[in-house]
Amino acid sequence: MKKVNAMDIYKLLPKRNCKKCGYTCMAFATKLLEREESLDKCPFLTEENRKKILELISPPVREVSFGGKKKVVLGGEEVMYRYQKTFFNPTAIGVDVEDTLTEEEIRERAKKIEDFVFERTGEKLKLDFIVIRNKSQDPEKFVKAIKIVEEATEMPICLATNNLESLKKALDVVKQKPLIYSATKENLDEILKIIKEKNKEVALVLSSGDVKELKYMAAKCLVNGLEDVVLEPYLDPEDVFNTVDMNVMIRRSAIERGDKYLGFPILNCPIVSYFYALNNPVPPDEFFSKEDSAKIYEATVSATLLNRYADALIIHNLDIWELMPILTLRQAIYTDPRKPQEVEPGLYPIGNPDENSPVILTTNFSLTFYTVTGDFEKDNVTCWLLVMDTGGKAVDVSVAGGQYNGENAKKLIEETGIAEKVNHRIIILPALAASTRGDIEEKTGWTCVVGTRDSSQVGEFLRKNWDRILKEWREKNKS
Amino acid sequence: IDWEPPVEKYKGRIREVSFGKPKSEGGRGVVVKIGGQRALYRFEEPQPNPPVVTFDIFDMPMPSFPKPIRQYFEDVMEDPVEWAKKCVKFGADMITIHHISTDPKIKDKSPKEAAKLMEDLLQAVKVPFVIGGSGNPDKDPLVLEECAKAAEGDRCLLASANLELDYKKIVNAAMKYDHNVLAWTIMDPNMAKDLNRKLIDAGLDPNRIVMDPTTCALGYGIEFSINAMVRLRLSGLKGDELVNMPMSSGTTNANGAREAWMTNKEWGDKKYRLALWEITTGLTMLLCGVDLFMMLNPVAVKTLKKVGEKLTNKFKMPKKVDWIIA
Ligand code: B12
Ligand code: SF4
Repeated sequence: MKKVNAMDIYKLLPKRNCKKCGYTCMAFATKLLEREESLDKCPFLTEENRKKILELISPPVREVSFGGKKKVVLGGEEVMYRYQKTFFNPTAIGVDVEDTLTEEEIRERAKKIEDFVFERTGEKLKLDFIVIRNKSQDPEKFVKAIKIVEEATEMPICLATNNLESLKKALDVVKQKPLIYSATKENLDEILKIIKEKNKEVALVLSSGDVKELKYMAAKCLVNGLEDVVLEPYLDPEDVFNTVDMNVMIRRSAIERGDKYLGFPILNCPIVSYFYALNNPVPPDEFFSKEDSAKIYEATVSATLLNRYADALIIHNLDIWELMPILTLRQAIYTDPRKPQEVEPGLYPIGNPDENSPVILTTNFSLTFYTVTGDFEKDNVTCWLLVMDTGGKAVDVSVAGGQYNGENAKKLIEETGIAEKVNHRIIILPALAASTRGDIEEKTGWTCVVGTRDSSQVGEFLRKNWDRILKEWREKNKS
Repeated sequence: IDWEPPVEKYKGRIREVSFGKPKSEGGRGVVVKIGGQRALYRFEEPQPNPPVVTFDIFDMPMPSFPKPIRQYFEDVMEDPVEWAKKCVKFGADMITIHHISTDPKIKDKSPKEAAKLMEDLLQAVKVPFVIGGSGNPDKDPLVLEECAKAAEGDRCLLASANLELDYKKIVNAAMKYDHNVLAWTIMDPNMAKDLNRKLIDAGLDPNRIVMDPTTCALGYGIEFSINAMVRLRLSGLKGDELVNMPMSSGTTNANGAREAWMTNKEWGDKKYRLALWEITTGLTMLLCGVDLFMMLNPVAVKTLKKVGEKLTNKFKMPKKVDWIIA
């Protein structure tokens, strides 16, 4: 497909260079191309050019959002592989709440979904939406569950029902813009009618096991003025690659073949694999209880689909051990390879350090920094943390690459003025940087002590050794 | 409304590499093949070979393994031969023996002693072997050479050749004693290409190379591995003859992730996390094109194999399963 460049966009801007948008016209064009700014920032655009630019910069996979105060944005992708540019909107993860639970149970589960958090490298990894499941098939129960969830949480919701009566009633009460699950070839016409009647803003999931059928349904939605469409290839719990294949066919059609009717976000339902695994043999059975195997299987299927184009997933379980690998994988896949993963080098006081506190040297790779500070916080470590500019490289990586060295340490010590803050000259090094000790001592004149391998052991190490290290150093440097 | 599956035409193909030899050729009877793909996705063409798992074993006990993994091997750790047999029971397609006690800093065992163990292992089980050293760049070529000789004609995989050691010695051993070579680089497709070129220049048959572009654990740089592997596989299929080799992944690295091994009440029992970390790391690599998986945890091995073997099936349209009323 044809590549758009900043010049193509620039030509359509007003060219006043007035900087109302915060940039010159040309710089603004670049920002628009990188999708780092919104077109609304330029007040002087003609309607016609605005449309033209939107056409140029809108990604081949449409961005679809749903929710109220909190929103979920799906899709918006431009490339097949993350190395080609970056992926934009992380896979949204939704967890179900059954309407057959008691009021209290519904509220509790909804809160649990909203409050779930797994913290990693300074980021709070969270769940994105709640799926209200019309298990009862009863419209009254469904409506009640919706009300409870909308009162108890601010989470975006997906309304999952097979019953058109339930859907009608639900659309009367739901306050936000919901995601509707789902239309099939058989009931699409009726559902479109209901949406029109209720005159409510919604996003709609289309489900099928056939890409061509999905395309047909998507085209029908567009004709009916419904653009917020999400495609769901059925989940095959026995052979997840059938679903992966469909995801790939859809995404490749959209991105590499320019198929507009397949240019929509993809939803997959690993929840199917969980229920399947409760009643059928799955690989981990031999080692774990049926229930635990089913959870491991659900996580396995989720990770597989996350790797290949799932823009949203619906799952069932809330165990942290099941969600940790899924959320970590999502974080990895959606980090922007164009941006270095680093933090500002410098001096970070941890706890309330004083002139007798230890000085610890680490690197400015974000993973390293957040792991170290997270560990220190948990273990109440008090210290002066020196964060060296290693070009955003981990300890062992920068030792191997030569950025973890005496010259850089010297610069850091001078720039931070750490010498005035402590009355000793001792630096604690990570065990992985033991080989740099001589070089650092020579260039800085400070004494280096090799610490532990892992930052989680530093608290223990200091409690056991710091007083002794300090005393020994003082004795040696009395004069 | 019209639509055709977006099938790509690929100029190239991935080379097929085989391990072990049939009895008719004087081997031990089990032959395992990897690679041979002519397409990226199964809907274009099913894979000719399923992914292959090679179990890690060591020539000395590994008390540092986390307990949920150690429990499966505690009774056999003293004896690598029994260890290998147990892995076969757990479904190993192949076995990787790490001769780590040859490291001068560990036990400084001689290459001859390693070769003796190699002979015992070859007698004890039928599956093909990956032969690993200790990671000591001076000693490894000597150990691999001696073991290659002991396993002559058995089509093992010598692990590994890289730019930091005398790779010519390893290349010569592979050609002389009929083995394959693992070419190991660090997450950089250009480095992988460069190493392959050097190995071929040194006399290695390109059809005997398996590439290892390094597997970083989930959460510890897996995105670098994803990029490197995908780029290598795409270049291979597009016809670059210097990188169209099958790929291997040190999936065991996943167990080094803190989220996997660390005891932490808030995170739940680590027996689940260890299994899932290895499964997730492995499956991610599988989707990037990896053919051979070096693994440690029996739960992860079973899961990856069972899920992965489906890659040789034809695409079938999935059916509706109603989970709303489940
Ligand atoms: C991801 C990775 C990369 C990424 C870099 C990512 C990044 N931004 O850093 C890329 C692909 C760029 C890369 C490149 C290279 N890499 Co690399 N890489 C890795 C890998 C897989 C993980 C590193 C990581 O993220 N660790 C996680 C972080 C959190 O760990 P950390 O920073 O060490 O912090 C921990 C501890 O050190 C400690 N800690 C931290 N601070 C402190 C402070 C104190 C006082 C204490 C006590 C403890 C402590 O606690 C932390 C948490 O556990 C490792 C292998 C591995 N370890 O699994 C290889 C590895 C480090 N790389 C290696 C090499 C050789 C290289 C290259 C030189 C390859 C090359 N020839 O080009 C280059 C060098 C690049 C450069 N510096 O210019 C080798 C190093 C071998 C060696 N020891 O000599 C390794 C070990 C792989 C291997 N087995 O060969 N690499
Ligand atoms: S506000 Fe519009 S006209 Fe002014 S500099 Fe920005 S893009 Fe150009």
